[in-house]
Amino acid sequence: RKRHSQGKDKTQNKLKSKEDGNGVPANAKRSKPEDQGEQDAVLRPVKLSRTELYKPPTVEELNQLKEAESLFHCSLLKMQMEELLKEVALSERRKKQIDSFVKTVTEALQSVPSFPKVELGDLSWLAGSVKVPFIMMPAENAGKFQMAPPASVDLIGSYPLGTCIKPRITVDLAVTIPAEVLQTKDDMNQRYPRKRALYLAGLAQHLSSSAEIGSMRYSCLHGNRLRPLLLLTPSGKESSNFTVRLHACLPPGYFKPSRFHPQRNNIRTKWYTGLDSSDPEPPTPHYNSSVLGDMLPRAHLQFLSAVSSQCPAFAEGVALIKVWLRQRELDQGAGCFNGFLASMTLAYLLSKHRVNNNMTAYQLLRNTLHFLATTDLTETAITLARKPDSTAPSLPEFQDAFQVVFVDPSGHLNLCAEMTECTYKQVQHEASLSMQFWDDATVNGFHALLMTPKPLERTSDHIFQLLELVKLQASCKKLKLLSELMDHSGNYVRTMLPYILSLLQQGLGQRILLLTHSLSPDPEWTVEAEPPKHKAQPPLSFGLILRPDYAASVLERGPPADSPKAAEFRKLWGPRSELRRFQDGAITEAVLWTGESACEKRLVPRQIVNHLLQLHADIPESCVRYVGAMMDDVPSTGEEESLKVVQSYDDLSRKLWRLEGLPLSVTAVQGAHPALRYTQVFPPKPLKLDYSFFGKEKSSRSLLPKEGKPCPVYIEPITVVCHMEGSGKWPHDRVAIRHLKAAFHLSLGELLTKEHSYTCRPCPTHLDVWKEGYAFRVHVAYHREPQVLRESVGPDGLLVVRDNEAAQALELATVHRPLLTSTLHGLQQQHPCFGAVCRLAKRWLGAQLLSDDIREDAADLLVASLFLHPAPFTAPSSPQVGFLRFLRLLSSFDWRNNPLVVNLNSKLTAADYTDIKNDFVAGRDSLPVMFIATPSDKKLSLWTKREPSVQMMQRAVMLAAESLKVLEPQLKDGTQIQDVKVAMRPPLDAYDVLIHLLPKQVPLLKQAVDPPLVVFSRGTEAGKAGTPGGAMPVIDYNPVALYLSELRDSFGDLALFFCDPYGGTVIAVLWKPKAFKPVPFKTSEIKARRVEVKGEQAHSVPNVEAIVEDFSVMGKDLVRSVEARTERWSV
Amino acid sequence: MAPSTKKHGAGNACIIPGGFAVLSLKFSAESDTQHKLYVKEHRVRVEAKTHRPLDKTLFVLNVPPYCSQAVVSQIFSRFGAVVSVELSDRPGTASVPEIKLSNIFKPAEKQGFKVAYIVFRKAKSIQLAKSHPHNFPLVISTEKQPVTTGLQKWAEQYRKSIILPEKLQETVDAFMTDYDLRKEEKEKKQEEEAEEQKEDEEGWVKVTRGNKGTKARPHSEAANQKSLQKEIRKKKRKELLNFYTWQHRNTQKEHIADLRKKFEEDKQRISLLRAQRKFRPY
Repeated sequence: RKRHSQGKDKTQNKLKSKEDGNGVPANAKRSKPEDQGEQDAVLRPVKLSRTELYKPPTVEELNQLKEAESLFHCSLLKMQMEELLKEVALSERRKKQIDSFVKTVTEALQSVPSFPKVELGDLSWLAGSVKVPFIMMPAENAGKFQMAPPASVDLIGSYPLGTCIKPRITVDLAVTIPAEVLQTKDDMNQRYPRKRALYLAGLAQHLSSSAEIGSMRYSCLHGNRLRPLLLLTPSGKESSNFTVRLHACLPPGYFKPSRFHPQRNNIRTKWYTGLDSSDPEPPTPHYNSSVLGDMLPRAHLQFLSAVSSQCPAFAEGVALIKVWLRQRELDQGAGCFNGFLASMTLAYLLSKHRVNNNMTAYQLLRNTLHFLATTDLTETAITLARKPDSTAPSLPEFQDAFQVVFVDPSGHLNLCAEMTECTYKQVQHEASLSMQFWDDATVNGFHALLMTPKPLERTSDHIFQLLELVKLQASCKKLKLLSELMDHSGNYVRTMLPYILSLLQQGLGQRILLLTHSLSPDPEWTVEAEPPKHKAQPPLSFGLILRPDYAASVLERGPPADSPKAAEFRKLWGPRSELRRFQDGAITEAVLWTGESACEKRLVPRQIVNHLLQLHADIPESCVRYVGAMMDDVPSTGEEESLKVVQSYDDLSRKLWRLEGLPLSVTAVQGAHPALRYTQVFPPKPLKLDYSFFGKEKSSRSLLPKEGKPCPVYIEPITVVCHMEGSGKWPHDRVAIRHLKAAFHLSLGELLTKEHSYTCRPCPTHLDVWKEGYAFRVHVAYHREPQVLRESVGPDGLLVVRDNEAAQALELATVHRPLLTSTLHGLQQQHPCFGAVCRLAKRWLGAQLLSDDIREDAADLLVASLFLHPAPFTAPSSPQVGFLRFLRLLSSFDWRNNPLVVNLNSKLTAADYTDIKNDFVAGRDSLPVMFIATPSDKKLSLWTKREPSVQMMQRAVMLAAESLKVLEPQLKDGTQIQDVKVAMRPPLDAYDVLIHLLPKQVPLLKQAVDPPLVVFSRGTEAGKAGTPGGAMPVIDYNPVALYLSELRDSFGDLALFFCDPYGGTVIAVLWKPKAFKPVPFKTSEIKARRVEVKGEQAHSVPNVEAIVEDFSVMGKDLVRSVEARTERWSV
Repeated sequence: MAPSTKKHGAGNACIIPGGFAVLSLKFSAESDTQHKLYVKEHRVRVEAKTHRPLDKTLFVLNVPPYCSQAVVSQIFSRFGAVVSVELSDRPGTASVPEIKLSNIFKPAEKQGFKVAYIVFRKAKSIQLAKSHPHNFPLVISTEKQPVTTGLQKWAEQYRKSIILPEKLQETVDAFMTDYDLRKEEKEKKQEEEAEEQKEDEEGWVKVTRGNKGTKARPHSEAANQKSLQKEIRKKKRKELLNFYTWQHRNTQKEHIADLRKKFEEDKQRISLLRAQRKFRPY
């Protein structure tokens, strides 16, 4: 007995310790005992008693129900938002912690000792190891500095305003530098910023002796090196809970704000470069706003507090906007749209009466997004200043200096000074996208809006990175951006960014919908370290959202040669621009990019980016890491092959239509094969055969596999359904229909051979047609046959219609699959990379040994849902991003509680959605694990009815999550090992028996993830596929598939068999967890088992040794070895 | 790996509870492992008169997938002449098809472990088989009569799957003529019966109980349902809604109940999501 119980335990343990492709142990959730919590985690239909449903309503209840109905689509969204706000709000306990820590810090700051006045450059007073957080370039300093206790310490920013949310709690503390430290001319030549940095260093030195402070680091505000910050965290276990940021600030009103007019110069060229310049000094708007920004935080806080006190839902509204921004990675880094801006925007809307004070947080969010979506701040500037004083700059003056303009209440400061046009456009794009799907009742608005993270690599179709940012310094010189560089105080990355963006925008033009760039994160460094150099920041990432119609065009047609714009065009494209004459007679400037296949064409944007950056900014190709197509060629490109198959099929279909002399006419010819909708992983290629390789069957002129040779090339039959006209002549009997169909196969074959001399082989179930190197398998269908199969006459003469498996299978093959094929074919016409994503997804499923659980049709539907319901993204326009989203869908969708609705051809209405959901909830327990509903299949989920099982689904979810974890860092980070195939190599150590196959007999060997070095001749010849006629080749002969089906038939009760259908040479076997349990002897359950007798009782257990030997007996000449990992199940 | 009681010495038959004798089966002489066949005389009275005669049929469990009828017959012929071998997926009565189908049109058989009913010529063979010692295994594939498996078998299968069009045509034609004949016969019978129920010259109708199955068309379940529904719809159309005050009140009540139900559903959904921590946006 011991053996068996042990065996069972091991099986379970093994299931738990599955490992992912990277070797990182993942806590598999398979076969975990279902605890109480799990039990509860299923939606059940709500049952309310009659009395409860029909009791008289109270006024309060009525109001509540009405509000939910009118304001939100349903009460669900309202409740969801409330829950979300609860989740992100700070708890009272946390607030107490923060308050007490702030108090400690404030007290510590009050006791900062004074030091005597020294020269600015003299750092002798800074005794300890604390460094100054400032890059002193140029080194020359004038002026005096003195460390002194702060004039005041105040809370500013989101925390006192109540808009601070989890995670990443930051509390801002403004430390006012006393006036005696400053001098009147300090705003010039970075003197004040340097003093501020010195002051911070002084504070850091003083605080370093304090025990309550856990860690101290420097950072800078929104990546602006002129504005360093000191980050403090409490000591002890609370250290990671929140961060206090110390800002050193100017005393309010110390400088006149008019001195920071965006057109004024506050950094002298002579001081900065050491050279005399005769020109008028260039304006330094960015420098000006960075100094000015330091005078205003308290004023801003007062302003916002006043607004917030009027509007009760202000804080919650801002919190929602912040969550929205955060999910889109817009709230952090240089030039971000941060929470402060969100508050200011909302304040603006309130002041303009675009929203009113009584609105709920939900309405505030909605109106803010609407405002952002419809207002282009890069075109029209807005201001919060009611009555700006006369010295304040005018809006056009702001617009001259900055790309995005949003003026603060004082009228002097542009709040969006650092923001690039592209970032704002991204905000706008996101807002309008959000508005679109918010109103769509069929989308889970809440989830798409606030819960789904949108990292760059999953949002953009193509991404590329600039690797060696130091090269940008040279680019600055080339573009003569010295004064801009001075304005940005030497930060060449920030200086170059707008120029690179506008260059790319110009060059990519129509091809892209949106150009985005990563916001470089705020650097952080310890107080003992020198500040990092500008080049030390992580690579800049750019994202392109492509327009599928234009993105892949190889021709860039410019203006006519004689038009004034031609010069501009030539300047942009440089030597690539040529004069070309077009078919319409026009002679225009044009650029022609190289690209033959669809895969190459998809990479035209890459050629453009490389060319423009090299030409205009001297950035060599080696510095641009373009990761748009890292995964595109994993399963071969295949688009052209698919097209050829479809063309050949169209031809066949026409010929079938035109056949004359059939007793009944053909009513429809439909494709029912993935290759006919561009989603076949390896589309069939036209083949020319070497007859000498095969054996021959003389009488039927057919080729046969020959003994002793490698397995012949696998020719996959392409299924075509040929519907015949309905007529009274069809018999009303299932067997007779089968015979008649066979007769049709015969006569179709005969006619095709006679008229077009194709080689045909009729069978009772189908007709194989060998045409131009492709094998088509024509099934004749009669539309009433499923009905006939369902009907039976009962003993009392009553005609009973009962659904049965045979009828369903037939309907699936002759009705549903052709329909799906044509619908998805249509989808491919709309989205050119649909097929490529499907192929990539199915290749992954195959490689992870899941393709027998998530079948082709189901996988295609999953991918189709990405294109039809992309919210919150846009429909993918590159295979890579589509694949990433496929993995994400598989891993994060709540399969247990939600049906995945794929609205093909938009045939489903919102009411249908509700029906589908209700039906689903009502019948959850009896429905498939993975439920996919389509317009033609709302209740059954035809394609996932049999598989996957719960366990396999869990495994698929886990593998998808792990693959994402491996792939995404690779795309983000160029320093990691770049091998996307890692995600395609399944871990095999989780299996109990491995059956290694002889590569020679695996016909699809070439398709393996890592194709083998040895190539076997498989009876094909190079060259174009032969003329019609010739012998019938070996069709649909795949020993691996035959072996697998034999294994599953024989041992399916005991074990699961996995194999990569695309050239896998290993069959992995997993004993079912219950397989080794002895069961009482029964004549019906004795397959492959042996009986053990104990006393009077006979029990049977699997005869494992014999089964393992059967593996090699049944796969004779195909199996190389059977590796039984007996340590896993101890025989 | 003797599965059973020690009291049976070497060379003895082994009988397990249930009356089955254990036979060992090896694939070939070199095989290390054995499958166990469980055999017993077939004793089902009902089937006595069919092709499974009462005392001459051996019931065999756990026949490996690579043993075809011929192979089983070959193995068991050592106990006496075998008349017929019937393989099936599970034990039970054999379903005899109404119409004899040609091999071409028979659906593909499932491979796997099967049960066999072996009919011997003599009843003695049964006892012989049952008393065969369990530790002298029977061998499936011998040098004289090798059993093909694996690649060879599949290639053979492929070769057999090729059907000559002429032969297929012949089969189809034969079936269809037979089918037409049967149909004609049936129609004739029906006509006769219809004829019987008509008035004769003097206006008499012969009333018989008649066979229910012989009506011209069997009335269908679906048709019954349809007429029922038509009736209901008709009734509904005549009904007036919101005519009486109580009706109006009822609709309002229903509406509120609806909203309430939805609210409850949403609440449940939320509590579920909360339990799963689905509201944390990070």
